[in-house]
Amino acid sequence: MSNANNKSLQPNSTFAQGGNSTADSNKELGKVYVWELPVRIFHWVNAVAIVVLMITGIYIGNPFVGSSIPEEAYFSNLMGWARYIHFFTAFVFTAALIYRLYWAYKGNKYAKSNPLKRQFWKDVWQTVKFYLFLPNKKQHTIGHNKLAELSYLIFIGLGSIVMIFTGYYLYFEPQFESKLGGFFSHFGVIFGGDSFTVRSVHHLVAWCFVIFIVIHVYMAFRDDWLTRNGAISSIFTGYKNEKKDTGDEDHKSEGEKSA
Amino acid sequence: MLKTKENTIYEEALSRGISRREFLKMCTALAATMGLTYNDTGKVAHAMETSKRVPVIWLEFQSCSGCSESFIRSTHPKIESVLFEMISLEYSEVLSAASGHQIEDAMSHVVKENAGKYVLVVEGSVPEDEFTTIGGKGAKDILKEAAKGAKMVITYGSCASWGGIPAAKPNPTKSVPITDIVKDKPVILVPGCPPIAEVMTGVIAHVITFGTVPELDQQGRPKAFFRHRIHDKCNRRAYFDAGLFAESFDDIGAKQGYCLYKLGCKGPTTYSACPEMRWNGGTSYPIQSGNPCIGCTERDFWDNGPFFTRRAKIPGTQTTINPDKVGIALTGLTVAGVAAHAGITAVVKKKKNDHGSKEEGES
Repeated sequence: MSNANNKSLQPNSTFAQGGNSTADSNKELGKVYVWELPVRIFHWVNAVAIVVLMITGIYIGNPFVGSSIPEEAYFSNLMGWARYIHFFTAFVFTAALIYRLYWAYKGNKYAKSNPLKRQFWKDVWQTVKFYLFLPNKKQHTIGHNKLAELSYLIFIGLGSIVMIFTGYYLYFEPQFESKLGGFFSHFGVIFGGDSFTVRSVHHLVAWCFVIFIVIHVYMAFRDDWLTRNGAISSIFTGYKNEKKDTGDEDHKSEGEKSA
Repeated sequence: MLKTKENTIYEEALSRGISRREFLKMCTALAATMGLTYNDTGKVAHAMETSKRVPVIWLEFQSCSGCSESFIRSTHPKIESVLFEMISLEYSEVLSAASGHQIEDAMSHVVKENAGKYVLVVEGSVPEDEFTTIGGKGAKDILKEAAKGAKMVITYGSCASWGGIPAAKPNPTKSVPITDIVKDKPVILVPGCPPIAEVMTGVIAHVITFGTVPELDQQGRPKAFFRHRIHDKCNRRAYFDAGLFAESFDDIGAKQGYCLYKLGCKGPTTYSACPEMRWNGGTSYPIQSGNPCIGCTERDFWDNGPFFTRRAKIPGTQTTINPDKVGIALTGLTVAGVAAHAGITAVVKKKKNDHGSKEEGES
């Protein structure tokens, strides 16, 4: 690829991506199978779960609606239902995350990430520069870019784990004598030791998810808008439009195989 | 203090004119207080018949004496039976008749004579020496000396257990909880501001009956009294589940007895026997009488935000925030940032397109 060449042609362009933005636009667009079905299922189950958990969670933390007429506790169970839905969704959320971890081992190359490689962090740095409209050597990627991968590792990975462990700590508070309750009670120490601090961590990290969603959705639309690669539709269909001869050989073969 | 003959607790009771029947009643009540089953009453009676009064040294540092005040209001067991039959209170600044050199001498005598046998009770947190000096000795030295020969240490109150109010931000006296100083002895934490009287005597009763440290939770509190969360035993819990909350202290909800969650009740994060044992001989407890729980048995309760507002604490700090308000503000900032970024992207894209089309035209 004519990286240097490219730069000299478009000195001002900060969208220049090392591997991709050659002036040659005659290359054929083709479908590449990027997100396998389990990945897509996880994405949507997780997305719905987060929204449900967030709404019920905010209600539990600060009950913003309630009966407007004075009544006895007998007739309604609003907080009970909010908590029930929150807990049920939490189990779904947990199961989905475990499923996704399994798929990180079983799935295709786009389902994996390895932050232990040096190249990973170099790519992250280049991607940061790319998003700051600075000259960069960001490699075009068919799957996620490395900054995106990092954000998923932090928010969906670490964030979920924090939410799960603080959440189950709170869930099992009335039953610390039980086996599962005893197991999760040990993690309270990591998150501050006392119930109030664990609860605070749960509340604060929850809002990190909302901020993540805003950025994530924006980035996905932006990518689609700039490169016309079908990023948005890809999370429904699994296919992205990519130039056939970009990316390395096994992308193509994989794409053709599944097609 | 002079002692002629050491009687067992039972003998001591008989000498005070208590009948065998009354003694057994007391044992049954004691077993119930300690959270034992009815079958264990025999064990308690046996312990009371065979064991002697336990020598207790009660030290007070940075405290308000509220724990002592609470202690003397115990109703089952009655405080007089605790003081005259079960324990032998050798040193207490609030309750001792003697004072000055007399009492200080008595204490050093007990520490020597009863080494390894006496129970050390501490009330209040331990500050730097310049803030608490008793009989010419600094608080830390007094505590270390007294703890050396103690069988075990019981910390009464949140100050002794976690640092409490004296250790709250900004902790001007640099006070620390007992566990920061006494490391080589078993320490039973009995937090509360103050703890319930029956919880205080119940822990002592356990020590007398079994001679051991009661089963403790992860934070070192006796499970018998700190196993349950207030929220799970609350008499207003039905209103919580129904979603019926008092919005202010004088609205219709407060009159109806609605849940005090929105008024900052810390019941959901507080472990204490309040809803079960209640206060003043089982009369009532804060939530029952219409005041939200302030979470006084929990670590750093004084720093966990205002009493009547729901807050979240930023871990590792003493700062509390309203998580929803801050969260919405941060989300708003993010949306604004994203919009700005999108704007710049559009401008740059347009430039690039113009540039690109020029190029195409050229080629």
